[in-house]
Amino acid sequence: MAKKQTSLFEDAHWQMDILQNIDVGLVVIDENYIIDVWNSFMQNHSGKAPEAVLGKSLFDAFPELPETWFRHKAQSVFVLQNTAFTTWEQRPYLFRFPHYRPITGTTEYMYQNSSIIPLADSNGAVKHICLIIYDVTDTAVNKLAQQQANQQLQALSRTDHLTGLFNRGYWELRLIQEFKRFDRYEQPSSLLMLDIDHFKKINDTYGHTVGDEAIRAVSRVIKEQLRNLDIAGRYGGEEFGIILTNTNGDGAYVFAERLRTNIEKLTIFAEGHEIKFTISIGIAELDNQLHDHRQWIEKADQGLYRSKETGRNRVTLLP
Amino acid sequence: MPDYLLTEDQRDCLQEITNVAMGQAGSHLARLLDVFVVLSIPHVSVLNPTDIAMALQSLNRETPNDVVHGVCQGFIGGGIAGEAMLIFHETDFNDLARLLKYDKIPDEQAQYELLMDTANVLNGACLRGIAEQLDTHFSFGPPMLLGQHCNITDLLQNNNMKWKQALVVEINYSIEAHKINCDLLLVIAEHSISGLIEKLNYLLD
Repeated sequence: MAKKQTSLFEDAHWQMDILQNIDVGLVVIDENYIIDVWNSFMQNHSGKAPEAVLGKSLFDAFPELPETWFRHKAQSVFVLQNTAFTTWEQRPYLFRFPHYRPITGTTEYMYQNSSIIPLADSNGAVKHICLIIYDVTDTAVNKLAQQQANQQLQALSRTDHLTGLFNRGYWELRLIQEFKRFDRYEQPSSLLMLDIDHFKKINDTYGHTVGDEAIRAVSRVIKEQLRNLDIAGRYGGEEFGIILTNTNGDGAYVFAERLRTNIEKLTIFAEGHEIKFTISIGIAELDNQLHDHRQWIEKADQGLYRSKETGRNRVTLLP
Repeated sequence: MPDYLLTEDQRDCLQEITNVAMGQAGSHLARLLDVFVVLSIPHVSVLNPTDIAMALQSLNRETPNDVVHGVCQGFIGGGIAGEAMLIFHETDFNDLARLLKYDKIPDEQAQYELLMDTANVLNGACLRGIAEQLDTHFSFGPPMLLGQHCNITDLLQNNNMKWKQALVVEINYSIEAHKINCDLLLVIAEHSISGLIEKLNYLLD
């Protein structure tokens, strides 16, 4: 009998030891948010000894903990006797602790997930709850880095390297989306196709570096003039496509005229040459006659050819 | 798809258990949130990954006036394991915030938190009732927002799905006088269906 008691006592002692030393934060609070249990993870990371927090209100001991928010969370645990969770994605931490590795850690604070579990007394009533705090800094840092890398990759895969505009693949994807949007909402939308006049001559006379510079100059002017929702891409060598959302043919014509005169006024300096050049533009407003995005491009292209045929450095809006 | 996984009796029993659990959940929620929760009768079926994919495909995609969000949460206990998926349709964040008594209009992060909290409360309330009737107790993983870290289509196009069939209990929740409407899918994993059947048979005897 005595032996059994000893071992029971020993069991309890071990369990206490485990809870004390487990590398997870444990805090027990009662219905009035008074702290009852404070394990050594909490003590070491917060720098607050049990004597300093036991018997105190959680909100007094940790003023940075948003009280209203926490009460909501805790209330659902008391009433529903249901575990509640917080994750670092939504809220990086409950308790602001420094990074576990102060030297090699890359973040300022410890990211935490937490579970808040109900503790039932012998009558099944929940008068206490336990906060379990997990250090998830490494997971969080990796996930964030991965997200960032993915975003960069995505941006890279959409960009034309010479001009920084969208590349043809992504631009066409957006054109298809815009076409579908029109199908559903019938909001006006116009497409500009443009290219540099006598580009071959520029290339042949001054070399490819100068040709590239001309392409870059056009894209710079386009970018300056672009509004927030417009979508510009490099369609081919010296050909560009611009989708003007929520813009009818007349509005697009104004935009195109401005673009054309801005390029006309422009002088570029490259490889010791001073060069002026012009662009031709074709415009097609989206309407119900166009059955897919290809036809839309074709129509704008026809406008572009018309501009070329009638002397270049001009804008054609096909009705 | 024939749901030969369950006999008629077993299916009725599961439906009844869920029904009772939902009733309890409804009254718990009424106590916590001070609202009347309208619940549909649970529908039990057997689905394969493609069916689930179809159900989830609409998630996080903008439709004219609605963004559909989903939250999933794992549960395990008594030889039964699965995932609770809560899909929010036609849900107004301001109403959700009002429901959970958040005082200010939520920013984007807080919106996600609202979804997770709602999911946790609804899932917990319902699964607790089911576990009690099956004389067991479930552990819950933290809720995860579907599609936050990966594209849902990618997730489902990935043919590495390790399961072929799952038992699904579907319940529709709406909350009176709030623009909140969601479907709860309790998906029981293939490998633990036998555990569930054992418990159902015990209840049927």
